[in-house]
Amino acid sequence: MSLRRIATVEDLHQYLYVAMQLEHATIPPYLTALYSMHPQANADAYRVIRVVAVEEMLHLTLAANLLNAVGGAPDLSADGFVPAYPAHLPDGEDDFEVGTRAFSPDTIETFLKIERPGVAGGDESRFVSRDRSARSLVPTVDAHENDLHFFSIGEFYAEIGEGLERLHGEMGDDLFCGDPARQVGPAYYYSGGAAIVEVTDAASAAAAMRIISEQGEGMGGGIFDEEGELAHYYRFEQLLLGRYYQPGDSAGSPSGPALDVDWDAVYPVVPDSALDLYTEPGELQDAVLAFSRAYGDFLTRLTEAFNGRPDLLLPAVVDMFHIRDLASQIIRNPMPGRPGVNAAPVFRGLARVEVA
Amino acid sequence: MPAPIDHAAAARTDYDVLVVGSGVSGAIIARSLSERGLHVLIIEAGPGEELSIAEYDTYLTRFYGAAAKDNNSAYEVNPNAPMPRSPDVRRLQAGHPDSTSYLIQNGPYEMDSTYTRVLGGTTMHWEGKAMRMLPEDFEMRTRFGQGRDWPIAYGDLEPYYQQAERELGVSADVADQTFYGITFPPDYVFPMHSLPQSYLDTVLARDLDGTVVQLEDTACTVLVRPTAQARNSIPNPAYDGGKGYVPVGAVSTHQVDQGDRCQGNINCVPLCPVQAKYSARKTLSLGVRTGRVDILTQTVASQVHVGADGQVSHVDYQAYGSTTSPEHVTGSLRARTYVLAANPVENARLLLASGLPSSSGLVGRNLMDHAYLLTWGLLPEVAGTMRGSQCTSGIEDLRSGDFRSRHAAMRISIHNDGWSWPMGSPYTDLVELVDDANAYGSALRRRVADRISRQLMLSFMIDLPPEPSNRITVDGRFVDALGNLRPVISYSMSDYVMDAVAASRRVSRQLFRRLGAEDRTHYDPLDPGFVSHQGEGYVIRGGNHWSGTHVMGTASHDSVVDSHQRSWDHRNLYLVGSGSMPSIGTSNTTLTLAALSFRTADRIVSEMTARPSVTIEG
Repeated sequence: MSLRRIATVEDLHQYLYVAMQLEHATIPPYLTALYSMHPQANADAYRVIRVVAVEEMLHLTLAANLLNAVGGAPDLSADGFVPAYPAHLPDGEDDFEVGTRAFSPDTIETFLKIERPGVAGGDESRFVSRDRSARSLVPTVDAHENDLHFFSIGEFYAEIGEGLERLHGEMGDDLFCGDPARQVGPAYYYSGGAAIVEVTDAASAAAAMRIISEQGEGMGGGIFDEEGELAHYYRFEQLLLGRYYQPGDSAGSPSGPALDVDWDAVYPVVPDSALDLYTEPGELQDAVLAFSRAYGDFLTRLTEAFNGRPDLLLPAVVDMFHIRDLASQIIRNPMPGRPGVNAAPVFRGLARVEVA
Repeated sequence: MPAPIDHAAAARTDYDVLVVGSGVSGAIIARSLSERGLHVLIIEAGPGEELSIAEYDTYLTRFYGAAAKDNNSAYEVNPNAPMPRSPDVRRLQAGHPDSTSYLIQNGPYEMDSTYTRVLGGTTMHWEGKAMRMLPEDFEMRTRFGQGRDWPIAYGDLEPYYQQAERELGVSADVADQTFYGITFPPDYVFPMHSLPQSYLDTVLARDLDGTVVQLEDTACTVLVRPTAQARNSIPNPAYDGGKGYVPVGAVSTHQVDQGDRCQGNINCVPLCPVQAKYSARKTLSLGVRTGRVDILTQTVASQVHVGADGQVSHVDYQAYGSTTSPEHVTGSLRARTYVLAANPVENARLLLASGLPSSSGLVGRNLMDHAYLLTWGLLPEVAGTMRGSQCTSGIEDLRSGDFRSRHAAMRISIHNDGWSWPMGSPYTDLVELVDDANAYGSALRRRVADRISRQLMLSFMIDLPPEPSNRITVDGRFVDALGNLRPVISYSMSDYVMDAVAASRRVSRQLFRRLGAEDRTHYDPLDPGFVSHQGEGYVIRGGNHWSGTHVMGTASHDSVVDSHQRSWDHRNLYLVGSGSMPSIGTSNTTLTLAALSFRTADRIVSEMTARPSVTIEG
């Protein structure tokens, strides 16, 4: 798949679909780090990562609302929606690797990169030219020439924001032709932190975009946003610095209470777990397959929820408990024949089997 | 987090109001006053360092690890501010009081009710039922010749019920909650929609709805109804004239945001793992945010002093640094107005220990609590027991009617947690299947599931009218680690209550028959709370709904406080909470005492701001 500069509603649909892929793609890495912690250990770190993971679920839902608002149809169960890890995200001239890995300082460094996208110098430098990567989560843009890449996730969202504005300028409110009943509202989504936004017009679309693109780094580089919420980047940074931020602090110098991190109280899960690591029949394979089946079912449920059945987000909460429990069971187990390495769940559905 | 203030600074500060106790009453009054410009100090006898998720999680961890999971198992044993714990209660021998635990049991009835002495008070273990009282509950003497009338009527309290429902975040639908005289203003909706009923509820509704139960001359038609609960559900967009409601999530100081709605965990008591259930910590944190509420924890009010003018002049405190050592410092705190919000037992204990039994002599008397009769059986089908929050539905139809002149009314809760309360399920089931039935592996899992998911438990919460002989006293022989007098309880069950106990058992048999349930109820004569009545024995449990010890009324000679919970004897002293209630009907007391707290806050503000000497900040 490749994109072009947003000129039509169909282009916008493609971008918003990629946005949903991007937002979802951060969740398995965050959850793997979360579930790799020993129970009862690292309570502070657990809570910090958990809240960011939950807000990525908010972003995913906001992206679905945006896509629905402009007449698209979210499909999380489509082939290729879920990336194979490690996946690549753009960061200026280079990509960086994002995988499903155990909780560690390196893993947190990667999370910092995810949450603080680089800013290009201007519209002309929104794209950089470099080699294709099959693993890149952001498609190339071929409007002008081949192999142009977005400079960063931030620039990708900037393109969506501008595209929305441009199309709204051309089409007026006809742009927001989606059925409002497909919007997920506060009845079915709330989680603390920022609130869900139902997208029905230009103002609500801009509000949703603001949350998606700015919750990571914060408004104008500040550590707290307008609502006083600590940006994701700084939430994670607290883990490396061992201290909580509090209002009035400047970046890099948190002055709140100490935050205890025990980097050793972690199950050494296999990096970037994949189904082909579990070819040997047995209980472990059964558990890994059960997880992937459950995850696939969950994505199917979300797809239905985002296609006019927002009430299905209620049973999806139960799915998430199920996913957590299945993941925790897998992570407790050593990999056969690989001393010092534990198994890990694979966050993708199983290949579809035709049922007569 | 509680404002960083120390005792020396607090003693120097010119507070408008001193509140003793950080539970729901004290928290509501402090928040309400601070939002209207008054400067409030709260002292809490128990521990609680900060209003954070981390602290809350230490309570959860202690609860998960506790072998006996009683109401107070989440909290450390603290000899400096002890609290009753239900496993401490023993069967009494006639004439021999039991002083082995904090609450001295003088009998004849052994009371296993508890309250919680930590930051947030007993909302740190309450279940979360948030029910209004029936209008007839306020007129028990006039209507039924029993107990006492309130000096105010349901209609006087109705606007304050609305405020309480907002503060506690109540989930319910008006249509379900409109019964037996309860009325709401036109267009009123609760902050959040009703929580879903459990599958167990629907099984019972299928078989029980329409059943007619005869109580004396009153024919009661049973309907299984959803229960109003203070736990987060789906917000109602029509709330507050269409402004909607934003549920209050977990209390947090480091933005580890959790705003969860009820997930159906079964351990509502003592603690909701995701703080979907209201606790006073939510109100406290909002109060602290005004900048006009200071909190001192581990600070025991030891003596209330009254000056020559009859007004409270100051309160002595003891501040301890560690729960494992009785070392403490003492001092005095002053304010213009004093609010005792330490719960009915501790309020009475503190007043009596201060030599202030009131001119009516009623402090500590008229002690009430709901009498609970638990009945349990095994359903003929799997009904999903252990799913859903602890109780999602109940039967309200035995609460109202002329039979109340003959015996007490009762309310039935359907317990999604099966035989947990009477039998200790599911842990006891597991132990029995492993140790006695030699089950293991998949057979064990199947048998545990089969057995537990058919468990049925109906609790009958029985009204108990005020009687002066049911009371809290103090006795110089009994002191705690800091030298404070401990509460002594004398308590008995009247025939008015026991006849309702017997009727409840009859009703349970009738309902079990309708359900085809195997009745497994049995009452052990060796258990605390065992009471015989007309040849049959029952174990009656406490409901933790302590009330009545500073009863409100219309005159100083036969009540302790007026309808605003203001002491008749000491005009700058308010005694708040369910201790002021002249009757408790068949509603859990929290919503009503929260409503009373809002009403009292209004009175304190109008009293204090009417005086020219008081300046209102910001």
